[in-house]
Parts: sequence; C-alpha cells; structure tokens
Amino acid sequence: MSSSAGQQQIKTLKVLGEDVWKNKVEKINSELFTLTYGTIVSQLCQDYDRDFEKINDELYKMGYNIGVRIIEDFLARTALPRCTDFNTTSEVISKVAFKVFLNLTPTIANWSQSNDAFSLIISDNPLSDFVELPIDAMKSLWYSNVYCGVLKGALEMVQLDCDVSFVSDILRGDNQTELRIKLNKVLKDEIPVIED
Amino acid sequence: MTIYSFWIFDKHCNCIFDKEWTIPSQPRSGTTNSKQNENVAKLLYGLIFSLRSITDKISSDPVDFLSQKNRIRSITTGKCRVHLFETATGFWFALMTDFKQDDYYDILNHIYKNIFVRFISLNYISPSDFVENEDEKGGQGIRKINNKNFINNLELFLSPLIS
Repeated sequence: MSSSAGQQQIKTLKVLGEDVWKNKVEKINSELFTLTYGTIVSQLCQDYDRDFEKINDELYKMGYNIGVRIIEDFLARTALPRCTDFNTTSEVISKVAFKVFLNLTPTIANWSQSNDAFSLIISDNPLSDFVELPIDAMKSLWYSNVYCGVLKGALEMVQLDCDVSFVSDILRGDNQTELRIKLNKVLKDEIPVIED
Repeated sequence: MTIYSFWIFDKHCNCIFDKEWTIPSQPRSGTTNSKQNENVAKLLYGLIFSLRSITDKISSDPVDFLSQKNRIRSITTGKCRVHLFETATGFWFALMTDFKQDDYYDILNHIYKNIFVRFISLNYISPSDFVENEDEKGGQGIRKINNKNFINNLELFLSPLIS
C-alpha cells in the first residue's frame, strides 16, 4: 500500500469510528461504568485474598469472554471486513474499536522491526478514573487487565492469534499506560472434513 | 417475492441453524433444524465454499481493505437464488429465495445485526461457539441454535416475505 493510500484509509477509519460513536451508540454515564469495574476488581481482591497474580488472570479471563462476544457487536455496528494486514488492524483497534466502545483513541507506538507488534498508549483510561492503588497492589496488579483479555478474545475471533499484555500503567507510577499487542500467527480458516 | 429457506453456517464448517418454509401461504409451516436437511446443508456449504475459493482466485486487483474482497453475493439457478452474507468472524448467512428480487443484503444485514447479535452473541447464556470439542470441527458438528427468542424473532421478521 502506498503511503498516501494508507493516510487516506486512516482518515476514513477515523471518520467511520466517529460516525458510529455519534449515531449508532447509546451513551451511558462513564462514572457508572468506572465504578462498576472498580467494584468487580475490589470484589476479586477479597475473593482471592489479595493474590494479585490470580486477580490479573481472572480479569484477563473475564475480558476474554467479553471479547469473543463483543466482536460480533463491533462488526454489526461497523460492517468492517477482515483486515488485510496488521497495520490496518492497529488502526481499526485504536480509531474505531476504542472510539466506539470507550470514546477514546489510543496512540499507536513502538512498532517492532518485523511489524508484528505494536503498543497502544492509553491516556485518560476511563477504567482508572478515581483509582489509586494501595502500596501492596502497585507492584503486581494490572488494574485494567480486562482490556488485554477483550483484545485477545476479539482478535482471536477474526483469526488473529495475539499476545496482549500491559507494559506500564500510570497507576503503578509509570509515566504512561502502555498496552502491547504481539501477533503470533494468522489462524487458518477451517476446511470441511472430506467424507467418502 | 418468496423465500424458501434460511441457513446459518459457522467458522467450523457446521450448519448451526436451518429453517425451511414448506407452504408459502403459511409462515408458520415448515421445519426448523431438521435432521432431514443435514445433507442439503452440507451440499450448500460445499457449493458456497467452492465458489468462494474460485472468486478469491480470480480477483487479481490489490484489495483495498475497506472495499470488500471479491466475495460471492448470490448464486442463481433456473428456479431459485441463494443470497449470502458473510461476517469477519466466519459466520455465513444464506437465504434461498425465488429470483424476483436481486438483493437481500439489507435483510440479511438486519438479521445479523438485530437478531443474531442480540439474541445469540450478546446473550451470555447461549454459547458463542457451537463446537465443544475437536471432533465437532470441520463440518462434523451437531449443535444447533435452539434459542426461542432468536427463532421467534426471525420468524416474525421474515414472515411478511413468505408469500
């Protein structure tokens, strides 16, 4: 793809994201969402006795289950086809998916040399409004780990097998919230078993 | 215009839903998820699958992401037409009709958006994947959509078109 065609496409995706957000999404109070998520995390902290590794896993699993379903909702709203390359995937995630579901547009950064991994820099993360982590959680809890699960699940449903994890989080004292997505492989479509 | 039947296939090559109307004047007539349709479903799947491989091969232009790939939209025979709608997650929706109307895209799109996503995908009690183990993949599956809300809403939406 030539770079001007690429620029054109990015612009179109941006317009698409904004249009869907404006016209096809019912709005809710984001504080309600933030507080609901906070309740879930604090309940998990109690249930798992502040074992933050387990809580991270649990949030990831919950996210995965959301992701495999929310992808259908996303496709129904946007009518996007499968991505042809990973660059496009990154643009769709940041300009359309995050915009439609959370009204934010993370910055894409730190592409790996082989073009199979990138980072999303999330500023104004709605999940972590009003949140301050206690000292014991700061070292090991990825508060917004549900994002990783959602992205993992949703990408898997469009045949992209990826590793998704947080690299840094403002809540842990880092200077930005960075989420890394690495493509392992593009899954093959199944073919029917041949009968005699 | 008349519609004869409606089918959903998943990415594991399984037919997860079929509905056939037998008497055109009676929208309530017909069969849902019938065992007898199993073979027809397999043949229909095979037909679409083969045509898909052909259309993928014969489109040589570099594909612009936002304009869809060279996908089949309908297959017409002397008596009927099969309309297709495909999602990026690998679901195929097929509607068999007479050939008075060219395009059922909006209707299939509506079924996906407002009936399938609503009552199946976003319904956490319904499974999101209709395969439970490896043996059911590759067209060997037996599971069907039996969700009442889904079936009722689908019948309600399609009934004006059966006549």
